[in-house]
Amino acid sequence: MITETAFIQIVRDELALPLAETDLENDFDKVVSWDSLHLLRLIAAVEKETGKRVSVGKLLSERSLRGIYTLLAA
Amino acid sequence: MSTVVNTPRPQGVAGPSGPAAPLDRLRALQSEGRLVTEYPSVAPLLAELPYGDKGAADLVRAGQLLSRLDPDEVAAANPGTLTVSVAVAGHSTVGALAAPLTAELARHGILLRLTLGDFDGYLRELQDTGSQLYAPGLDLALVVLDAQAVFDELPVVWRVEDLEKAAATKLAQLGKLVERYVGHGTGTLVLNTLPLHRLHTHQLVDLRSRAALGVAWREFNAGLLRLAAAHERVVVIDLDPLVALGGALNEPRMASYAKANLGDELLGRYAREIGHLARTLRGRAKKVLVLDLDNTLWDGVLGDDGADGIAAATTFRGEAFGNFQKIAKQIGSQGVLLAVSSKNDQEPVLEVLRTHPDMVLRDTDFVRVNANWNPKDGNLRDIAAKLNLGVDSFVFADDSPFETGLVAAGLPEVAVVRLDEEPALHVERLLADGWFDVRELTAEDRARAALYRVESDRQDLLDSSGSLEEYLEQLGVQVKVAAVGEADLARVAQLTLRTNQFNLTTERLQPAEVRERIEDPDHLVLSVRSGDRFGDNGVVGALFAHRTPQGLHIDNLLLSCRVFSRGIEQAAVTSVLAYAVAQGLGPVTAAYRPTKKNHRVRDFWPSLGFEPSGGDEEELSFSHPLAELPAVPSHLRLDTDF
Repeated sequence: MITETAFIQIVRDELALPLAETDLENDFDKVVSWDSLHLLRLIAAVEKETGKRVSVGKLLSERSLRGIYTLLAA
Repeated sequence: MSTVVNTPRPQGVAGPSGPAAPLDRLRALQSEGRLVTEYPSVAPLLAELPYGDKGAADLVRAGQLLSRLDPDEVAAANPGTLTVSVAVAGHSTVGALAAPLTAELARHGILLRLTLGDFDGYLRELQDTGSQLYAPGLDLALVVLDAQAVFDELPVVWRVEDLEKAAATKLAQLGKLVERYVGHGTGTLVLNTLPLHRLHTHQLVDLRSRAALGVAWREFNAGLLRLAAAHERVVVIDLDPLVALGGALNEPRMASYAKANLGDELLGRYAREIGHLARTLRGRAKKVLVLDLDNTLWDGVLGDDGADGIAAATTFRGEAFGNFQKIAKQIGSQGVLLAVSSKNDQEPVLEVLRTHPDMVLRDTDFVRVNANWNPKDGNLRDIAAKLNLGVDSFVFADDSPFETGLVAAGLPEVAVVRLDEEPALHVERLLADGWFDVRELTAEDRARAALYRVESDRQDLLDSSGSLEEYLEQLGVQVKVAAVGEADLARVAQLTLRTNQFNLTTERLQPAEVRERIEDPDHLVLSVRSGDRFGDNGVVGALFAHRTPQGLHIDNLLLSCRVFSRGIEQAAVTSVLAYAVAQGLGPVTAAYRPTKKNHRVRDFWPSLGFEPSGGDEEELSFSHPLAELPAVPSHLRLDTDF
């Protein structure tokens, strides 16, 4: 389990993305300079933080950070 | 230095426990929008990062921040920033290389201009002379390969014979593409050996085939490495030693989903090698290794324990120090000057270096031994002045966090190797960075330490002479200016890469570029060799010129800092002026391009009768009318052969 605050912090620290609060809800196409490598880095960081393995295959089809967070927090 | 941080991250704030960690200070600069204007402060911050608990990961995080900066903005805000342009092509995805590469170059103060190729685009991009790899003026073309480049060529079900054939075909294909690149590309092409994974070998169940696969694979990698021997502008990074540092070759899910066949850890190590290669390309390889003594070269404190109480052999810890001495000596045998900066009295230190049975390094291995009680930053400046080198060519290794911190803070241009109380880790710390990496060693490199030691004999003569003139008369300087042949080509290229102070236009040339000029009949490429009563100095200078419709233009003149102020440079230029007269050429023109390092030669051309003929702050132009030639200094003998 990971809190939303911790998740946002990981996104900012690991990806160094200039992230607005609304970017959590936005489709990746609208997030500044998002690419699939970001997602994989993010997953690696979340796994390190929580010590739990994430199902990467499922996450890859998510289109927003909110969707990813929901899957991670489930 | 305290940093005020305006960010929601609590660890970014300088608390009572001391200043914020380097990465947090970097993040603070970014969130305050000062990263572009304060780019020069980035390198000193990054210098501390690799020593943290999560060094490699932190460097990647820093690289993420930095890779988002616009290099044009950084260059505009900080004129004089060293820039290196790099294009990457790969078999798998290459995007993950951006962050570590940006960070590793930034550690050296080098701004990266990066172009990334397409996924699995390396064959097409090497073939297409319009691709990013062939961009005009490109410095480095990185073609990052992994084992899949070969394995993807195999049928669904395969035998080791298929692999042998695929590897041989791939090597031949790469060989052709490398030739194409050398013929049409401008940069240095960087390939790498392909690490073999257990998931590859163990697809074969019979041990005989597995062994045959191992053989074919090593032959393939050896063939790649031979490409570097065959072409001057090709470098092959051997990934085996980087893989052997441990950790996973890749993350299987990242490999499967994102085609990231080389993992972050390995790419980080690869990026470090590239950082040092970029440094060498820009003529910034380090030249001097300054070592502490107590608990760095030997176990114990000489002042407290006495000569009998210190050890560099026989005991467990002593042997570890002895090993470190061996490595330092090995480095010193390859053109790197060794020096000592130690808080000790001079005499007992020299006594230990001369007579202590444990020492691998002796007093004669060092070009300077500074044992005194002055602060070490001052000692490093003193050693630099005595050697006539800049402190930015220094690497400093010490076990004391106080001393390493002092030097890092006072002389940020010095590379600091932070040793600690565990001597068994000294070697690893010293070799973690390729500070002394060069493309090629020359005869001058191997003899360098001896050449510098003779320098102190010259110094003694100077001290005993009544005047500089008298000294020069007694020195008996001989100068030979000759057309460069195969034997001196590497050394002349190296001079253009290493020389910073006496370098009129600071035009860096790789060996292949020097060769092009030698083969061009319009170009004159001359070596300057000198010697005196104390011995041969070897090739100490070079002069590049080319014929123009009007006359002769001197592209550059360089001289090793070991032989300044002996009239050698005047003699070299006079010989070229005389050549222009003899050939009936028109006026001889020349230029001076100011850098941070070459201000002392600003007035060099006028001092020889050249007249200013325009130019701007970037480049001053000069012209010699050849009406009256400067005299060859009377204290030296000049031979010419061109």
